[in-house]
Amino acid sequence: MTTNSRGSLKREKTVTFAIFLALPLIFFLTAYVYAVGYTGWLSLHSWDGLSPHWDWVGMDNYQDLMGSSRFWHSLVNNLQWLVFYLICPTVLGLALAVLVDGKLKGEGIMKTLIFLPYIITPVAVAAVWRWIYMPADGLLTSALEGVGLGGLAQNWLGDAGIVNGALMFAALWSATGFAFLVFFSGLRSVPVETIEAARIDGASSWVIFWRVVLPQLWPSTVLVLGLFGIEAMRIFDLIWSMTNGGPARASEVLATQLYDVAFTTFQMGEASAIGIVQLLLAAALILPYIIYITSHVEEQSE
Amino acid sequence: MSVATSLSPARTLRYALAILVCALFAVPLLLALNTSFKAPDEIYRVFSLPDNPTLENYRIGLSQVGRSVLNSLMITIPAVALSVFIGSMAAYPLSMMRGRAGRVIYFVLLTGMFVPFQIVQIPTFYIARALGIYNTIPGLWLVHVAYGVPICTFFMRNFFATVPRSMYEAAQVDGCGTAGYFFKILMPASFSGIAALAIVQSRSVWNDLLFAMTLSNSDATMPVTAKLNGFVGAIQVQYGPLMASAVISVVPVLVAFLLFQKAFVRGLLGGSSK
Repeated sequence: MTTNSRGSLKREKTVTFAIFLALPLIFFLTAYVYAVGYTGWLSLHSWDGLSPHWDWVGMDNYQDLMGSSRFWHSLVNNLQWLVFYLICPTVLGLALAVLVDGKLKGEGIMKTLIFLPYIITPVAVAAVWRWIYMPADGLLTSALEGVGLGGLAQNWLGDAGIVNGALMFAALWSATGFAFLVFFSGLRSVPVETIEAARIDGASSWVIFWRVVLPQLWPSTVLVLGLFGIEAMRIFDLIWSMTNGGPARASEVLATQLYDVAFTTFQMGEASAIGIVQLLLAAALILPYIIYITSHVEEQSE
Repeated sequence: MSVATSLSPARTLRYALAILVCALFAVPLLLALNTSFKAPDEIYRVFSLPDNPTLENYRIGLSQVGRSVLNSLMITIPAVALSVFIGSMAAYPLSMMRGRAGRVIYFVLLTGMFVPFQIVQIPTFYIARALGIYNTIPGLWLVHVAYGVPICTFFMRNFFATVPRSMYEAAQVDGCGTAGYFFKILMPASFSGIAALAIVQSRSVWNDLLFAMTLSNSDATMPVTAKLNGFVGAIQVQYGPLMASAVISVVPVLVAFLLFQKAFVRGLLGGSSK
């Protein structure tokens, strides 16, 4: 009797779990598995987006990409964005977290001000920064002129040599708040007693930071680097809305090139091939991160 | 003691530096606000305050993006509610299943987190057209729900893992079924987690430009990001109305953030820093 009812309980549980998982899995299979498969299959074809037939071209699209300087330029830009994201907003966010985490008065306002840019729509960020970067009357040029350094003023978004730096500076303003907040919360979880003990042992603040505090920030660092890594491989909105990838494709990344190739010149096959390369790159980079967090969470729940 | 520390030079330096940094972070925001209240002839004197503050830019801005802000609200609110619910549905079994199957499903779902959304742009466009949901608001709900599955599952799975298993066992003893436990006990007990996820999801749905551009093409559907993007890249940019429109597009997220700041922070940390 007991075993019987336990058995039916178990069956009820299995059936309920299957029902619960069904809908999310259908969404996932359609939006991810089917869609990625579609892109992969399309990348082996030539298609203008309208005609009823896809023309099989095999690996031609990939071969074309390998020989295209435009593609390599986008790829290098993406890698530059990756390096930028992993270093600049991460380090600045950590530095600011340490700076503000000193029981300063007005800490709440400081936190909000530094974090605020992160929640602002990239399109709005682009609007404001285009205004800052206006060559003649923009804020940056006016400020430089105001302090007598007018000679340093540039056509910030119109010069192929400067545009990526200018975009990254805008991205720094918008992304730092996230790293800041994560590190700030991380610092709060470092036990005060540990720091006190180190201080009593005569360790300097500098040594305490490197030897005691920083190791405790490991989970925060993993979170920040992981999300920034994903962000760097995905970056689209800010660039698209600030420069459209210009001038003369100087600021193009894989995502903006894909959009342009797909929806301006309607080479769906080639655009899909770009997408598949982008996916493989992202996978190579971020899969280890996903494996890390799955195993990490698994430990927690036991 | 506290007086002594507050007067130390190191502390003064720290204050000065912190205030300087905050001021620098505030500059773009202040510039946008300042510009948005200026008449066209003063716009290019960037550092001056408006002589005659005007709301004209906001009137123009509202007529340009007002409708799209409403669209964004109608897209974001149901999309977030649905995606949190769907994520919780997946997370519940995955937080309870001990076997290999659960781990494999969880891992597969999470791999979705690294898929750059651009690569599904073309299929999403054609699938949406085939299903007749292209350029409709429910179409955007579905897309955001579908692409939110990995992150929502991840988040809620982390959250449910912190709920003691004894609660489930106690509910079983009381005759509460597996589904009953989810609806009657687990979900209500997870309010803080749900709120945190909801606010983080709201930000990403509200801010989305890519799906907005791919799946909407008329004023009746287009969310504010896509609409605003059209003005940002225009040849002849009117910075007064543009700044006003940018401010308008940010207000709803800003209000949500200020109201639910704690939940937002918890959401961003996503269970990783526990």
